[in-house]
Amino acid sequence: MSLALRQTWALARRAIAGTFQVPQSWFPALFFPLLLMAIFTASFDRGIAFIPGFPKVHGYLDFGISGTVLQGVLIGGVTSGAFFAGDIERGFFDRLVTSPVSRIVLLTNRLAAGVLLAACQATLFVLIGVAFGVRIEGGVPGFLTLVGLAALLAIPIGGLGILLALRTGSTEAVQGAFPLFFAFMFFSSAFFPRETMSGWFRTVADVNPISHLVEGMRAQVIEGFRPGAAAISLAVIAGFAVCTVGGSALALRRRLGAV
Amino acid sequence: MAGGTLARTAAVSGMLAWRAIILVRRMPSVFIPSLVMPLFILVATSGAFHGVGALPIGTGSYLAFTIPFATVMGAGFAGVNAGTTLARDIEGGFLDRLVSSPAPRLSLVAGPFTAAGMRSLFTTTVVLIAGTIGGVTPPGLIGTVIVYVMAAGFGVATSLWSMGVALRARTVQAAPLMQLVVFIAIFTSVAYAPRELQHGWLRTVADWNPVTRILEASRATELGGAGWGEVWPGLGAIALLLAVLGVWALTGLRRLGRD
Amino acid sequence: MNEAIVAHGLVREFKGGIRAVDGVDLEVRTGEVYGFLGPNGAGKSTTVRMLATLLRPTGGTARVAGFDVAHEAHAVRRAIGVALQDAAIDPFMTGRELLRLQGVLHGLSRADCRATAERLLERVGLTEAADRRVGTYSGGMRRRLDLALALVHEPVVLFLDEPTTGLDPTSRLALWEEVRRLNAEAGTTVFLTTQYLEEADQLAGRVGIIDGGRIVAEGTPQRLKAEVGDPALVITPADPERRDAAQEVLQRFGPEVEARPPGTAAARLPGGAARVAEAVRALDEAGIPTASLDLHQPTLDDVFVEKTGRRLEGHGGGESPAAGRGRRGRRR
Ligand SMILES: Nc1ncnc2c1ncn2[C@@H]1O[C@H](COP(=O)(O)OP(=O)(O)O)[C@@H](O)[C@H]1O
Ligand SMILES: [Mg+2]
Repeated sequence: MSLALRQTWALARRAIAGTFQVPQSWFPALFFPLLLMAIFTASFDRGIAFIPGFPKVHGYLDFGISGTVLQGVLIGGVTSGAFFAGDIERGFFDRLVTSPVSRIVLLTNRLAAGVLLAACQATLFVLIGVAFGVRIEGGVPGFLTLVGLAALLAIPIGGLGILLALRTGSTEAVQGAFPLFFAFMFFSSAFFPRETMSGWFRTVADVNPISHLVEGMRAQVIEGFRPGAAAISLAVIAGFAVCTVGGSALALRRRLGAV
Repeated sequence: MAGGTLARTAAVSGMLAWRAIILVRRMPSVFIPSLVMPLFILVATSGAFHGVGALPIGTGSYLAFTIPFATVMGAGFAGVNAGTTLARDIEGGFLDRLVSSPAPRLSLVAGPFTAAGMRSLFTTTVVLIAGTIGGVTPPGLIGTVIVYVMAAGFGVATSLWSMGVALRARTVQAAPLMQLVVFIAIFTSVAYAPRELQHGWLRTVADWNPVTRILEASRATELGGAGWGEVWPGLGAIALLLAVLGVWALTGLRRLGRD
Repeated sequence: MNEAIVAHGLVREFKGGIRAVDGVDLEVRTGEVYGFLGPNGAGKSTTVRMLATLLRPTGGTARVAGFDVAHEAHAVRRAIGVALQDAAIDPFMTGRELLRLQGVLHGLSRADCRATAERLLERVGLTEAADRRVGTYSGGMRRRLDLALALVHEPVVLFLDEPTTGLDPTSRLALWEEVRRLNAEAGTTVFLTTQYLEEADQLAGRVGIIDGGRIVAEGTPQRLKAEVGDPALVITPADPERRDAAQEVLQRFGPEVEARPPGTAAARLPGGAARVAEAVRALDEAGIPTASLDLHQPTLDDVFVEKTGRRLEGHGGGESPAAGRGRRGRRR
């Protein structure tokens, strides 16, 4: 077991270093969420107080910061999946498979790297938010819960990236799935409250697990430290993780010819 | 002679525009996003920020408010695609075939330019139909023409921008740069809220951003206001973009074969 | 106009000081097939790109079909047909569409475009595949389409940059046949680059050998080979011990050949095949039985070795064009 941990850690360090070496793999994950956060804040800040159904907040940023964190983790997952697909294209993956590294490590190293990067990214985003006036009602426990949920979310998202990479083996295909991730986020309460939506869109947002995930994170910021809400988020993450990590384990077995 | 050159330029440009359009139709990875993205933007934006419609954004719904944004986005995609195709042609050597023939040089830019305009008309039609299905009253003949003119004008302007980049960078790797600039230009205008609601840095940027005038002109008619006071600045912004980006593309064209 | 291509001191220097073409002089007569032979990286493509107005020379001058490539580029483009090395063919378009597009580029009328497309498709044997996307074509089909594209406006001068590199032998022969026919029937001047000795030997009336951006030898294949010297008689004595003795006998007939396979004796035979019998008899009389005997005619490779000290193809100087495969120069 300790060997698997050491191998995971060594490979995870490589994955993290790889992320920082190529600007294409960290720039979008930092730039786009922050840009959208800035634009949404400047667009909606003055109006939200007059929108029926919008929760009482100090500013849009308090509301939106959780969506921004979520978006950052999503994009990070896509780029990490694309990096993994690149490993397959370049033959690094095959070299790894033919080495005595245990099979589980092939997955865990990516996931571990994703969790670490997501934790850093979420911390950075929240701190930037605080610098621009976000007040975290949940205080330090709320902050830690928010960052912790973001870090754990990296497991199912990373699993999805790995799943796509293993199934397609193509960087382009993984990157091509990117708009899909985006779509799921917009059809949820990631950027605006469900209470202000209407019609079928509202129904979609109601059943979209992302809504419940992000609301659990958001409660820590705009309400106060809420373990119950966090538990709902955790449940969504766990369910999602079972699907994608399980799926990628199956895809790995298929790729290695075990099935 | 001059008349002959003009006719030849027109003939070759027409042919190259035709090629650009059949290429799009035959590449599902380009065609489907170019159709789906504007629709997705329309549905996701208008659905997620439905509540903003309760604010003073004009006389119509937030869906009507989003239609110009979606048409301009679709046109921007078409324009960027002209640059990506040109970059691929340069990298792959297809452009050598064009350059070593006596065809007028201008048509290398004029062909994709025309195609971008035509594709903008197409995506605009799709968005307008979707809007009508969603319950927006079509803005009458002159209003509709203005919505088309604004979208197509932006589409051809972005095609000049991205072809100028392609002619300088000569690699498909420049595609994200073409895209990024167009996205930022649109997002930092009045994409999500009218200028009256914006504040801070975004308001300043939007005041200077030519895309703001284009969206406002399109919106004025979409929302039934049909004020010529908004339309003239829109036409002016397009003329300005075409002049500046035309120089940018044509000076790029002159560099061909230099090194 | 007697000279289809004239170049004086043509130079192309790339950024970083690489002189890809370093003072090339050319005179190609109208109606000639000129072979430009050289190894990968010799500067063949760069020369073609300059002559085809795709690249500005950084020094020297060149006229093609009577027009200056730098100052009368437009007139040059009207006169030439070009099939570049990396046949840039749009995989998403069909052969017929590409031919029509090419016709429009050359200012053909709509009806002419259609008729020319049919005629050329027929000619290069692609009528069946005309409406398939080019992405589905084989390498040979692409090259034939590329040739057809270069012919839509009946060019006076045709540039073919490594037209058979990477092709299988059958496709290669078909393409050679087409080039010969074009030259014979339409009188088209052909400037053809190749890495293959056999191709230059078979197709070209005159050959220029280029290495390191300079022309190192030029002439008809026959004259170039004759310049190297007489054919070499190479024998392997049945008894390896007797090699030196055999060499002594052979040297009575002509000068020793230094570059020979180990264990063999070799000498040049002025007078060629006529004197082989004499040499064999002399060996017999000296009591040296021979295991094998070979009269080696000079090849263009020997010309290349003579001028540059290196072999053109592989290590053993194999004539097989296949030896050059997998070394395709790609620009990217
Ligand atoms: N665009 C370029 N920039 C820099 N160097 C180049 C360029 N094109 C060719 N070269 C260099 O010039 C030399 C000759 O290339 P090329 O003409 O393609 O040779 P050939 O066609 O005979 O194989 C090579 O060393 C090549 O690397
Ligand atoms: Mg070459």
